[in-house]
Amino acid sequence: MDLVIALGLNGIVWGLIIALIALGLSIIFGLLDIINIAHGDFFMVGTVLAWTVFETTGNYWIAFLIVPIIGFGLGALIEYAVIQPIKNAAALSIVATFGLSIILQESVRATYGAAPNRMIAPIDGTFLLFGIQYEIYRIFAALIAILAICIFFYFLHKTKLGTWMRAVRFDPETATAMGIPARRIYTVTFGIGFAMAALGGVVAAPITTVDFQAGIDILPFCFMAVIIGGLGNLEGTVAAAVLLAFVEGIITSFADPTFARIGSLCLMSAVLMFRPHGIFAGATQ
Amino acid sequence: MNVATINRAGTLLFVLFTLTAPWVLPLVVDSFWVDIYSEILIWSLLAASVNLLFGYVGLLSFGQALFFGMGMYGVAVGIAKFDLSFWPAFAFGVALATGMAVIAGALAVRLTWHYFAIITVVFSLIFYFTALSWKPVTGGDDGLPFSVPPIIALGGFELSITNPNVQYFFIVTMVGACYFLMHRVINSPLGRAFVTVRENDTRAALIGLNVYLIRLSAFVLAGFVAGVAGALFAVFGRYASASYMFYHVSGEAVVWAIIGGVGTLFGPIVGTGLLIVLREELSSVWDHYLLLVGVAVIVTVIFAPRGLAGVYNLIVQRFASNSTRKTEED
Repeated sequence: MDLVIALGLNGIVWGLIIALIALGLSIIFGLLDIINIAHGDFFMVGTVLAWTVFETTGNYWIAFLIVPIIGFGLGALIEYAVIQPIKNAAALSIVATFGLSIILQESVRATYGAAPNRMIAPIDGTFLLFGIQYEIYRIFAALIAILAICIFFYFLHKTKLGTWMRAVRFDPETATAMGIPARRIYTVTFGIGFAMAALGGVVAAPITTVDFQAGIDILPFCFMAVIIGGLGNLEGTVAAAVLLAFVEGIITSFADPTFARIGSLCLMSAVLMFRPHGIFAGATQ
Repeated sequence: MNVATINRAGTLLFVLFTLTAPWVLPLVVDSFWVDIYSEILIWSLLAASVNLLFGYVGLLSFGQALFFGMGMYGVAVGIAKFDLSFWPAFAFGVALATGMAVIAGALAVRLTWHYFAIITVVFSLIFYFTALSWKPVTGGDDGLPFSVPPIIALGGFELSITNPNVQYFFIVTMVGACYFLMHRVINSPLGRAFVTVRENDTRAALIGLNVYLIRLSAFVLAGFVAGVAGALFAVFGRYASASYMFYHVSGEAVVWAIIGGVGTLFGPIVGTGLLIVLREELSSVWDHYLLLVGVAVIVTVIFAPRGLAGVYNLIVQRFASNSTRKTEED
């Protein structure tokens, strides 16, 4: 029973981090109409940057501030240099982001090295939760993820830039006619998407391994959350991420983790076939 | 000289080179390049299956490795577990891939664009994870090695792929047959229907074409071709492994097809050949040659979305029109 609780809790924590990353994927898809295969690698770059910041400054907390800013810069740069020139060819954008994914992985392997590293959690120790000793850092990571998600929704609904983003998503032509700089909004959105994945990487770095291939496992999971929650349904994405990770965690306690993964993938295909707007479609309107 | 003559001469040169490669290549370079050339031919079939879907019906599949893996496992499991002889095992692999393409296609071609790309990845991932965990049959991560039975055994006469020339020409024959099949389909009324659906599926439906069935037939044909590639690769490598079903393999095939040029039969061979030669030449010199591949992909997508074949066609056309103008002036 202890194992079930521990894995269930791990699932929820992991789900919240995935939700943060998947939200980035979802806004990029919703606004730019791009399937970003490099999104897992944005996360990976976040973990590696967090490791680098920790190694050079000896302070992990700086990473929480610096890495998302670097991520935003990198994202904006990528959008400007790679995505904008191919804006008209939707199918080719998938191929371009695949190329991007190769470049990111290989440049990390060239600079940081191929050997995976484990990071020591900046907050040590455990405390009693639901009858088991649970790591404090994981709870802290979940809280950071929740905070970041809340800030993101506040930004999207209450600030001018967020409103512009929603406007461009709704109707780019009318938005442009109203004087909204749509092109700049695309760049900013891609930057925010990268920043969120990178922040997810910083939060997750002490929980997983820091490795240039870390993004490969994350990507399918993020897509599952985005598809099952409904493409463009941001609240649905968060709910789906937490739910999926929780259920997979529980299943892992008594069965092979791959079975859990196969089950989620089958659910995802069913959703794609029969409810392409996600399982929460209709709940928000 | 006109375009058709130049192209015909090029094709003839290519066929001649392929037929004499086991003797010509060792004269110029190390003899292991013959093996690499067979590998290029096999992988080019996987790129061709991507091209058939994306270049001719406009569906971008990121899951062709699924059918490659099915062909591969069909041969390996057939020989190692069921003790089948060569041809039944080969047929089993291709049939498994084609059957999978019928089932997967019946579901997948209901979707288009992004959704199609995603569902093909999802299907391939489902079977990748299944192959990974179903260790008694598939060998999981370690793969499933086997020894290949002879192709033909009649009394004392035996033709086996342990002879490198037999292996080479077996691969060439199979790959050639697949390209011939694709060539025939593309130039048939069905092939014209493929292109119509790619250009505008609404109009295709309005003139009475069954868009769903046309997309499905392209999908099944692509699955068949990828299955042959997988079966050939199993025979070539003498083993099958789940890692060949991962989406990165599908992605590589997409890259080869795009760089070579989609919508042409030759493009995928050129793209696959170029990138595999690049890998063989550069990976020993520069560890991070993949950076170059990534940059090449992005540059191709931005500046030459029709790929190398597109660039070639442009040059040949300009050359041909220049020479005709000259003859007119004379």
